[in-house]
Amino acid sequence: SRQVASQCQLLQSSLGRLSSPQLPQLPDEPVSLQDAPGGLFQMPPGDPFPERVTVVWLSVLALACALVCDPQENLSLAEITLRRLAPRLLISLRLLSPGADVLLRQDAADALLDRLLPHGQMLFLNERFLQAVDREL
Amino acid sequence: REIHEEELRRFAGRVSALLQGPDPGAEAAEGLRRLHLTVAATKYPRRLDGKFVELLQTVLCSPKSPEQVQVLCAAILREMSPCNDLILRCDEIQDTKLLSLVSSVLLAQGNKKGEVAAVGQRVVKVLEGRLPEGQSALLLLPVLANVINLSPESLTKEQTDAVSRKLADWLRYASTQQGIVQPSGGFFSSPRTKQPAPVTEVDGAIATDFFTVLSVGQHYTQDQWLNVQAFSMLRNWLLFYGGQEGKAPNPDDKPGMDRSVTSVVSTTSTSSRLLPPKEHLREKAFEYCQRLIEQSTRRPLKKDDGDLQKACLIEAVTIMDIICKQDSSYVYRAVSFLKILHGRICGDATYARALLPIAQFFLNHSKLAAVDSDAIYKHLFTDIPAQLFHNPSLAFEFVQFCKDNSQLFTDTSSIFRQSFPNLFKFLAWNSPPLISEFVDLLPFLLDAGTAIEIFHLLLDLPCLTAALDIQLRAAALPTSEKATSDPAVKPATCLEAFRHPLYKSTFQHLLRTRSAPEDTPESLIPLRQLLGSLAGNPRVVQCAETVPVLLELFFRVVAESADGSLINQLVVLLLQRSDQLYEIPTFKDDVYRVLSSQLPMLCKLHPALVVELSTEILEFSGAVSNIQSKEPIFTHVVWAVGEYLSVSYDKRCTVEQITRFFETLEAVLFEITQLRPLASTPSCAPRAISVLMATLTKLAARSQDLIPRVSMFLSKMRTFVQSPAVTSVYCEEDLEEILIRATELMNLLKMPSVAQFVFNPPMDVPSTRLQKEVNDSLPLALRMVTHLLEPAPGCTP
Repeated sequence: SRQVASQCQLLQSSLGRLSSPQLPQLPDEPVSLQDAPGGLFQMPPGDPFPERVTVVWLSVLALACALVCDPQENLSLAEITLRRLAPRLLISLRLLSPGADVLLRQDAADALLDRLLPHGQMLFLNERFLQAVDREL
Repeated sequence: REIHEEELRRFAGRVSALLQGPDPGAEAAEGLRRLHLTVAATKYPRRLDGKFVELLQTVLCSPKSPEQVQVLCAAILREMSPCNDLILRCDEIQDTKLLSLVSSVLLAQGNKKGEVAAVGQRVVKVLEGRLPEGQSALLLLPVLANVINLSPESLTKEQTDAVSRKLADWLRYASTQQGIVQPSGGFFSSPRTKQPAPVTEVDGAIATDFFTVLSVGQHYTQDQWLNVQAFSMLRNWLLFYGGQEGKAPNPDDKPGMDRSVTSVVSTTSTSSRLLPPKEHLREKAFEYCQRLIEQSTRRPLKKDDGDLQKACLIEAVTIMDIICKQDSSYVYRAVSFLKILHGRICGDATYARALLPIAQFFLNHSKLAAVDSDAIYKHLFTDIPAQLFHNPSLAFEFVQFCKDNSQLFTDTSSIFRQSFPNLFKFLAWNSPPLISEFVDLLPFLLDAGTAIEIFHLLLDLPCLTAALDIQLRAAALPTSEKATSDPAVKPATCLEAFRHPLYKSTFQHLLRTRSAPEDTPESLIPLRQLLGSLAGNPRVVQCAETVPVLLELFFRVVAESADGSLINQLVVLLLQRSDQLYEIPTFKDDVYRVLSSQLPMLCKLHPALVVELSTEILEFSGAVSNIQSKEPIFTHVVWAVGEYLSVSYDKRCTVEQITRFFETLEAVLFEITQLRPLASTPSCAPRAISVLMATLTKLAARSQDLIPRVSMFLSKMRTFVQSPAVTSVYCEEDLEEILIRATELMNLLKMPSVAQFVFNPPMDVPSTRLQKEVNDSLPLALRMVTHLLEPAPGCTP
């Protein structure tokens, strides 16, 4: 996660944006992911993963999510999966409301991951399937 | 994290009481959550009481436990993996939901006791059998996918065959009607059940062929969900089990090395049911991929479906590639299909990432199919980087593609090798994520033919970033402002310069898509100055930070195989380019540091270079301005002269040459050590003064009539360091060092034969420390000699 943080900061600075330390307000509209900074990079074998891995990351508001993939996996799908997970995590963990006891809502996060990334497997879900998943949650 | 053992135990006790009670409800769940957090918060495994762990497992498997409690128990058990107290077994579990939960715990144990195989066996058994009422295989497929990822050998051939058969059915024969929502009952429910509607494509058209992940419906049936799951795990399944028996799966297998059933007779859908399961699945998978490819170029009604289409396209082409590697009879069917696909998408930037697996397919199979795919490679390497360098995902995957196919770059005439200037655009724009990838890639691009051009390219990499920025902004301008500017008027901004006739060709050179070794970059000087306004641009700065790393790597690679001629060229360029660098302060300093540190290495490889390049080196070391602007390089150049301008390194070294260098360096030293410095005299790093003195001494040791001149000079240094004008400029320690050094050198010259030995050891003597860097060992040697000449006070002479 340190690597993701530094990649995120570097990307932000390359785009000319300053990183603000305060927590942003919860926007009224649904969180737009079009301009959310994100990227891909590789980590060599060693610490902390024994094999070479590719990391796909995404930053939404003050939260950064990273998906660790094998180098041969479908990275386009990984980005799609991450783009779906991040806002849903924000909502289900109620990360932006005051007094959120985020750390005690791990089963909410687990339930979400169980549907969108069961046993770590990425799924090719089109928008209608995704809606069906949302209905189940 | 700070909870003590005792407190933890008491808390666990409370929770266990709750769990064992009649109705473990929300309170138990809350307790479990806290426990989970406690266990997860520390890096080192927390010891929970063995009995409690047992209780967790019991609660997990008990059918009475509410689902939430089960999930939390599983989470805690997972968090504690690997756990020795685990008694969980999956052998008897019939319920798919429970099996999925228990498997998640077992698969996290690190497979020390064959848990993966046990899970695999159980899952396959449940899948093969008749599932209980209301259950479906849906929850088990991801478990299976995980199993084969962790340990593909844990399934037998019979089991993989059974699953292959099911996968083929799920892929090919899922229902094409939309699912029905059960009426919720109540006052307003309609007495009639609704008629199911057919599924549609993403563009709204009614589907006329079988169901795939790109099929759309309001609600989905179980088998349609299975279709999605099956496709999601298809690639890995085929990789591990689609090839030859008993062969370790290797996705990099070259075609032709893995021949399973090479069926000349093409299989149709009806007859393929008679094939063995593996081949049957292969056929269905191929058809599925063909269908997906057709579906993925439709225009979707929902924009986000477009992203999935591209991901499906990439997956489908990749799977086709795997299938063709496993059975080359599919190549003929695939080639024409993919060529048409390429034609359809090559003009659309949103599909660019899919061009990579397509190109990979043709690289793997076009020889077999005797198909000319050069146009595909040309388009990929010429157009794509130039147009889409700013897409970070594409940039990353493109560079991975190059790394995966690095053998392509060995052929000097190939389009791949020729396009390396284009590849650097990815790095110039997306420096932080790609620098480590380029460190891996650079050695493949580098050889005697490309070294010079790449040297220039690396030094100008931040300029490339700036030029790309301007190119993007120029393209975004409205057409009215795009007219070529008036040649008579000097451009005021970089943007104007982009279209100005004076600068256009230099921009084009920087932004070239092919290697152009004959174009000299001297014309870049005015452009570099103009681009100075962008030197603070964050992307430019980030790019500049990658250059020193790449330069060091460059020299390391070049050193392995460079001949004298190339080394000479590089040294000359090194001196020239030191004046022609992009004006970013830390960038220049870093580049000087790296370049100067390479000089000793280059001299060691090719000692004669000092003699062969004497003109250029003389010119460089004679310019006093170089001391201030490029001190590291100057210092190392002068050091190199001192070390290597000698007959022992090059027989062609003449006395005249030594004298000429001597006089040049003497003049420089004279100018910077004046007692009454003029306003124009630069104040120099003391290191430069030291190295000049040392070099002059070394030269004098070789041509001994110069000794009196040096000695006289050195003796004047005492006055120099004591002069008031000088003491105000340099600090005391530095001046003392200079004086000590001058004294040592003078003493050395009093014993000319010793001096000669110190500075010119015979070539067959193994290289001693004396021949290394100026600041390290020479002072030591000189001090030794000084001690010999000036005995310590108190000793009798």
